[in-house]
Amino acid sequence: MLLSNEQMERYSRHIILSEVGAKGQKKIIDAKVLIIGAGGLGAPAALYLAAAGVGTIGIVDADNVDLSNLQRQIIHTTPDVGKAKVLSAQETMNAVNPHITVNTYHEFVEASNIMDLIAGYDFILDGTDNFPAKFLINDACVLAKKPFSHAGIIRFKGQLMTYVPGKGPCYRCVFREPPPPEAVPTCRQAGVIGAMGGVIGSLQAMEAIKYIIGKGDLLTGFLLTYDALKMDFRKVKLPKVSSCAVCGDNPSILKPFDYEQAACKL
Amino acid sequence: MKLTVTGNVKEYADGLTVAKLIELEKVETPMYVTVSVNDEFIASGTFEETVLKEGDSIEFLYFMGGGQR
Amino acid sequence: MADYTIDETADITDVVCPMTFVKAKVALEELDDGKVLSIRLNDGEPVQNVPRSIKEEGHQILKLIDNEDGTYNLIVRKITLEDQT
Repeated sequence: MLLSNEQMERYSRHIILSEVGAKGQKKIIDAKVLIIGAGGLGAPAALYLAAAGVGTIGIVDADNVDLSNLQRQIIHTTPDVGKAKVLSAQETMNAVNPHITVNTYHEFVEASNIMDLIAGYDFILDGTDNFPAKFLINDACVLAKKPFSHAGIIRFKGQLMTYVPGKGPCYRCVFREPPPPEAVPTCRQAGVIGAMGGVIGSLQAMEAIKYIIGKGDLLTGFLLTYDALKMDFRKVKLPKVSSCAVCGDNPSILKPFDYEQAACKL
Repeated sequence: MKLTVTGNVKEYADGLTVAKLIELEKVETPMYVTVSVNDEFIASGTFEETVLKEGDSIEFLYFMGGGQR
Repeated sequence: MADYTIDETADITDVVCPMTFVKAKVALEELDDGKVLSIRLNDGEPVQNVPRSIKEEGHQILKLIDNEDGTYNLIVRKITLEDQT
């Protein structure tokens, strides 16, 4: 495949980079990334990946756009309120870049559908807000040998890590089991600065791009934590846990399963 | 003794346990925090009996949800 | 007396910075290692910057020919550098 003049111009700032070039841009165009959750994290990530020219982007989200989303979910606009988030996201992404394919999945991820959802993608981005989903995505990606980016944001804090099969720990190595639903607030209950999604979601997009072009060091074996109030980024080393229930030497989790989802109290 | 707690070197009393450090540092959600000492995770049931020693480096890792809705 | 044969040509006189370099770079990427590309470029900013940028990428500049019509032909041999990361 040769890059067209239009592609050369659109992606010129990528192509100029010696780490990318036309070769790297073609990898980006051939890449398939699945974004689970079109919210605070998924919105900026989806926009950057669409703009970058990632040829196929899947978006999974069962929700509709709510007015309270617009403070941070910059892929949705005021006229989108009430619309399915996946459709609103698709429209914005195609407006930014009409040359990419956006696949929409208007559903929740569950044990019953996750393996099929991730099967056709090269890299998965976890932009969900709840622990049952985060553990499900982790287990499914480990089982299907798919690299993924985990992230979470709350208040003025955010964190992320990247899992690559055979290279370093998975999310379950670090956190083992979801906390009980009442123990940890989600940003729905605790609040979050909108730009936090921009910071952390953009870092997830950056990890996806680095993985696709095969350059640089990924955040495998580290948890990056960001404290906006202290303006502090830290990379905390994570050991791999040989007894991990899903990626360890004798795994007990052999297929994805659902944790009890707490009923929404709001 | 000196410990490195989340990247900061500070002075602590000898014989400090992980459980006591969690209390001293006012760690959020102490029931659900993941703790690593010198890049090894400490099993969550053993915070009381894990005694820290001079030069140990301790990290607290928190559950962080949020991002979608 | 040319000690090279031109394998491919590119014309970057229809674009401005940074597309001049982008087009030249893409043309070079399409080439096999050791092959020679002749790039037609405009006087002024392109002739000042493009040869330098191409050299920085590790390629070998063989010749710059003044066409005396406000354009130049830059003759470049493609050199693939070892992976930089």
